[in-house]
Amino acid sequence: MSQTVIPIHQPSADHNPDTDIACRTVEPQEKNLLRRVIDRVADHCRARSLFILHYCTGCGAIELPPTITSRFDSERLGIQPMVTPRQADILLITGYLSVKTLKRVILTYEQMQGPKYVIGMGSCSINGGMYWHSYATVKRLQEYMPVDMYIAGCMPRPEAIQQGFLQLMAKIDRGEGTAWKDYYHNYNTYLGHQQALFGPDWHTPTDVIAEARHYDLLSDNTLGEHTDLLAKFASEYVTHPIPSAKAIPRSTS
Amino acid sequence: MPQSIVTDDLDAVLHELPTLSVEQTAPRRLKVCIKAETLPALLELLKGSSGYLHLSAISCVDWPDTEEFELVYHLWSYEVKQLVSAHIWIPKQPGRFVSVYDIHAPAAFFERDIHEMFGVHFEGSPNLEPFILTEWYGPPPMLKSFNSRAYVEETFQWQQYSPEWLKELEAKGGGIVE
Ligand code: SF4
Repeated sequence: MSQTVIPIHQPSADHNPDTDIACRTVEPQEKNLLRRVIDRVADHCRARSLFILHYCTGCGAIELPPTITSRFDSERLGIQPMVTPRQADILLITGYLSVKTLKRVILTYEQMQGPKYVIGMGSCSINGGMYWHSYATVKRLQEYMPVDMYIAGCMPRPEAIQQGFLQLMAKIDRGEGTAWKDYYHNYNTYLGHQQALFGPDWHTPTDVIAEARHYDLLSDNTLGEHTDLLAKFASEYVTHPIPSAKAIPRSTS
Repeated sequence: MPQSIVTDDLDAVLHELPTLSVEQTAPRRLKVCIKAETLPALLELLKGSSGYLHLSAISCVDWPDTEEFELVYHLWSYEVKQLVSAHIWIPKQPGRFVSVYDIHAPAAFFERDIHEMFGVHFEGSPNLEPFILTEWYGPPPMLKSFNSRAYVEETFQWQQYSPEWLKELEAKGGGIVE
């Protein structure tokens, strides 16, 4: 059995291997390696320049001014407050969330650009805190958006917040700050939890499904029975045609 | 007993209406209990003759034993610097009362608030749309019959907790400070 060796590049008149950088097809795993190296470098840099959008819903916000200003000075960690969601990396939720403010938080979160991180600060964002039996406050933030980290305490001292920031930075540096992708992977579940509180016609102006497709993060649970309701109630905000959960080809991962 | 704060003007007003009781509760506070149907007249008279111009709040109490709502109208006079609290009782069923928006405009907000928290309907109130509880589908939550805890149990899930986490934190040098 004879083996034919196929040369990778055939010298031809219009092809000069010395100057043409595309002379070799890049292997897929090689491409992934390159991408991973770039990602690691980017993560390393990103961890050192974070902008926080502090959503001051509760009393815990009072610990933020000393954290950010000269006393504890989070700027030496590279963390600064930012005024708009579109320019922020971290959404810092500083206390109890009533159902009404949760709505605004979700709107804000969806406006932020990936990669984005959510910190729930204070007992209230973890389990309702001292409002645990209130009909108006949300108990578990992570049901409605992916949370990277909770800082416990009622309220946490600036030292604890700094510690939290450092841990988040380390996490991002290691390339593990990927919770935000979960919002796209499991959008159906998150939307379902949101609909349970706000009613079946709840939707935001953000087309999360199109974003998931853009980031290449569509997965089994991106679409489902809850996103199907979007077609009914939010058709003006969602790219047409809205893929039905049944019609979309499943990714194999 | 401090010196009576019922001025002549006020005394005249209170004599014009069938008052249930008048009681001074603090140096500058007067508690007046009246029949529900005379309340608008009382507000008019107080506003006209004694300078009780400021309706600072309307509060509501749910009395489950007597099946009544108690409505308290707090009126402040900048002239004599006194507060009159007018208490009335209305039956829970059907839970309707007249709006005093035409006498005191700020009543619109208070009535809207009480309508959403207790379900009292104020006839003639300009707007009884949901005010704070725009994401609320349940019964009026301030009613004593509303069981907040049972509602929470069935609406929300509890966070998991493991005592091991505290140990992990302590191993890292953190923990609870006594
Ligand atoms: S955890 Fe404590 S300090 Fe923070 S919002 Fe709740 S009650 Fe306020």
